[in-house]
Amino acid sequence: MSGRNLISIADLTNGEIEEIFELADAADKLRADKPAGGRIMATLFYEPSTRTRLSFESAMHRLGGSVISCSDMKSSSTVKGETVADTAKVVSSYADVLVVRHYWDGAVQAMAEHADVPVINAGDGGHEHPSQTLCDLYTLKKEKGRLKGLTVVICGDLKHGRTIHSLVFALARFGASVVTLAANGMELPQYVLERLEREYDYTLAPVATGDLNAVVTETDALYLTPKQPHQLALFTQLDPGLQTRLNTMVSGLRYDAFYMTRKQKERMKEGTTGNSYPTIGSEFLREQRFKNTVVMHPLPRVDELSLEVDQDRRGIYFKQAAYGVPVRMALLKFLFAQNEAKKAGAKKAATWFESPETLGPQCANPNCITVTEPASARRKFDFLASGPGGALILRCLYCDHRIKVQLVGHVKSKRYCAYDIALSDTIKNWYKNKELVIFDSIKAAEEIGYEPYKSGPQRNIMDQTAIENAVRDIARQILGDCEDLDRLLVLGIRSKGSYLAQRIAVELATAQKRKIEIGEIEIYGSGDEIRRLSPADPDAGPLNLKDREIVLVDDVIYTGRTVKSALDIIFRSARPKSVRLAVLIDRGHREVPVKPNYVGKHIPSSERERVRVKLREAEHDEKDKVVIYSINSPVEQPAGELG
Amino acid sequence: MAQEKQILFERDELVRTVNRMAHEIIEQTASPSDLVLIGIRSRGVHLARRLARKIEEVAKTTPPVGVIDVTPYRDDRAREQDPRAIGAFEMPVDVDEKTVVLIDDVIFRGRTIRAAMEAVARLGQAKRILVAALVDRGARELPIRADIVGKNIDPGEGRRVNVLLEESDGVDQITVTDWQGRRAV
Repeated sequence: MSGRNLISIADLTNGEIEEIFELADAADKLRADKPAGGRIMATLFYEPSTRTRLSFESAMHRLGGSVISCSDMKSSSTVKGETVADTAKVVSSYADVLVVRHYWDGAVQAMAEHADVPVINAGDGGHEHPSQTLCDLYTLKKEKGRLKGLTVVICGDLKHGRTIHSLVFALARFGASVVTLAANGMELPQYVLERLEREYDYTLAPVATGDLNAVVTETDALYLTPKQPHQLALFTQLDPGLQTRLNTMVSGLRYDAFYMTRKQKERMKEGTTGNSYPTIGSEFLREQRFKNTVVMHPLPRVDELSLEVDQDRRGIYFKQAAYGVPVRMALLKFLFAQNEAKKAGAKKAATWFESPETLGPQCANPNCITVTEPASARRKFDFLASGPGGALILRCLYCDHRIKVQLVGHVKSKRYCAYDIALSDTIKNWYKNKELVIFDSIKAAEEIGYEPYKSGPQRNIMDQTAIENAVRDIARQILGDCEDLDRLLVLGIRSKGSYLAQRIAVELATAQKRKIEIGEIEIYGSGDEIRRLSPADPDAGPLNLKDREIVLVDDVIYTGRTVKSALDIIFRSARPKSVRLAVLIDRGHREVPVKPNYVGKHIPSSERERVRVKLREAEHDEKDKVVIYSINSPVEQPAGELG
Repeated sequence: MAQEKQILFERDELVRTVNRMAHEIIEQTASPSDLVLIGIRSRGVHLARRLARKIEEVAKTTPPVGVIDVTPYRDDRAREQDPRAIGAFEMPVDVDEKTVVLIDDVIFRGRTIRAAMEAVARLGQAKRILVAALVDRGARELPIRADIVGKNIDPGEGRRVNVLLEESDGVDQITVTDWQGRRAV
C-alpha cells in the first residue's frame, strides 16, 4: 500500500471533509483545470451499481482523466479463482486509482493493502460506503448550511445498509444528532453502536423524558447521549405501529432531515413479513412541524418514498444524487493531491493484534474477507477492553465486527487459560511483550501444543487396547452403513482426527482388501482447508467431495462447534452425498445440534473437565490413552502466578 | 398410481404436540428470556409463532421470532459467490449470547438445518443452537440432530410427510402421501 486510500469515513478528518466540500463547491473550476489529465481510474465492481459507478466515471472524465473498467467481474479472472489481493496488485499497475465495490466485508481494505495506488471503497459487503456518505453530508450542508446541531432521523433498514453505517459515524463526528427509526429487526448493528460509544463518546441510555415519549414507549426506546448532552439522540423503535407514530410525532425536537433507506433486498430476501417498513408519503408532508424537514434517500428507492414527495421542495434526493459527481470529483482531486504530497492518513496508527502463533482468533463474521479469502487478508484485531462484565473484545481490522476473547495463552510458557477480568493486567503485559496468544477454542490451543495453566490429577479412561477396539468397532459400523466404497472418503479433522481417520482407514482397507481414500480438513488454519492424505498418488489431483460418502472423524466431540465449522468448509467446497460423523469420545455439552453417528465411548464430564486423547502419532514415546482431568479456573488463583 | 393418503394427526393432537414442544423448549433453556426462535420458511414460521405464544403464556416472556428462508444456502442449488447468500433473513434478530431455536415442520436429511446454522452465524454469535421440528422422519444424510421433536414418523421411501397448518393450509393436520400426492393433499 502506498499513500492514502478511502476505505472508511474514518480515514478522513473533519477538516479534510470540509476541504473536499470546498473543492466540490468549485467543481466547475476543477472541470476547467482538468487536474487528472493523463491519469487512469480503474473501476472494479463485483456487485451491481448504477449511480456510484457512473458518477465516479463521470467525475474522472470531467477531471480530464480516463477510465478503464471490467464490465462484469463475473467475466474476469475472479471466476478462475484469482484472489482480490492479486487482482489489486495487477490492476494497480494499469491505473492510478482503483474504485472498488465488493460483496465481502473488508475486501476493499485487503485490496488497498496489496495495491500500489490509492483505493477508494465504493461499498464493501454490509460494511461501509464512504463516498456516498460524503455526498450525503455535502447535500445536508448545502441544504441546511451546516452539520453541527442538526437532528437527522434515519429510517428503515439500518442493519444491512453500509451507507447508513458510514453516515452515522460521520454525523456523530460533526456533532449532529441522530434519531433512528429502524424497521423491525433492522436496527443498527451492535458494532456500530459500540464504535459510536468508543470513538465518539456517545453512550446508550433508555429514553426517559421529554418529547421522545410521544414517539416511543420507554421500554422499546434507546437514547444515545454524548458526554455533552443533547448532541445526539438515538432510539430504535421496535413497535409495529411504526408508521402511525412516524406520522404523529409530537415533538419539541426540530427534525432537519429524514434519511430514508430501501430494504436491502440483495442482503435479505424480500418477504411478506416485513410489513412495518417505514415509508414517507403525503401525510408526512402535510405535517406542519416537518415543514423544514428535508427528505433524503441514497436511491434506488423501492416503495418507501411516494412519488408525491418528488414534487415537494423538501424531497431533495435527486439533488443528492446529482451532487455525486462534484463530490467525487473533489474526492479524486483530494486523493491525488494528498498522494503527490505523500501525506499520511488520518488514522490507523493503532497497533493491531496479530497472533504470534500459526493459530489465532478468527473473525466471527462469515462474510469477512479474513474468512472468505484468508489468503488476501491476514487476521488483525484491535482491542476494545470494554465489553459487558469486563469482557475483552476484539475488533476485526477489515470488517469492524467484534469477537469476545474466550481463551488466552502465553507464547513462551505454551500455556493457556480462560480469559477473566482478573487477568487484565497480566494480559496487558503479555501483549506489550508480544507474548499474548488468543484462541477461539481449547481445541485450537491444544492443536499447537498448549497446556492448561493449572489442572488436577489425570485419570485414565481408555488404554491402548480400548482405543484399538473402539477404532475397529467404528470401522465395522462404517462398513455396515456404507453404500458404495468407491465413494467413501474418510476425512479427519486435523490433527488428532486425521490420525484416527488413518487408523480407521487401515481397518477398512484390511477388511476390504482395497484402498480407502483419506483426507484431512483443517479448521483453524488458512488457505488449503481440505487436502488428500492418501492414497498418495501424484496424479490424483485435488480431492473431490461432490457426491462422496464422507465420514468425518474427530477425537472428542464437546460443543460440536468444530464439527459445524467442518461442515461449513465441506459445503463451501461441494455437495457431498452424505456426511457421517465418527468420534472416539463423546463428552456431551453440545451447543449446536450436531450428533455423531459412531462413538467409541461416551464419557459424562463436567464443563470444568478436559478430556484429552493422546495418540502415538502426536505424542512421541507415549502409549495411546485417553485421560480426563479438571481445570482450575484462573479466578481461583492469583493472577501473578500465571506469568 | 393410486393416491394413498393417511392422516396421522388431527387438530387437537397437533395443538397438544406444539404445546408440549413449547414446554420442552423452556425446559432446555436456562433462562427463557435468552430465547430466540427462528422459523424456517414457510411452515416453520407459523410453528415458531405458535411456540412463541405458548412460551409467552407459560414463561411470561415473549421470545423474539426471526424468519429465515434457507433457499440461497441450500447446497442442492447451484451455488455462486453471490451476496444474496448473505441475508436469507426476512426478519433478522439479535442472536448474540442467545439460545437460538431453529424451527421447521419436518426434519429429514438435515440439509436445511445445516444451511440454517450457517445463516445464523451471519447474524452473530449464538450461545447455543437447538433444533425443534414437529416431525422427525429420520434418514439423516448429515450428522444433525433435532433436540425437540413433536413426533417421529418414518413414512418409508417414496412417501411424503405433509404438515398442514391453519395459517397456510386452512387446516391443522399431519398426513402421509406418495411423493406425487404432494400437491393433491
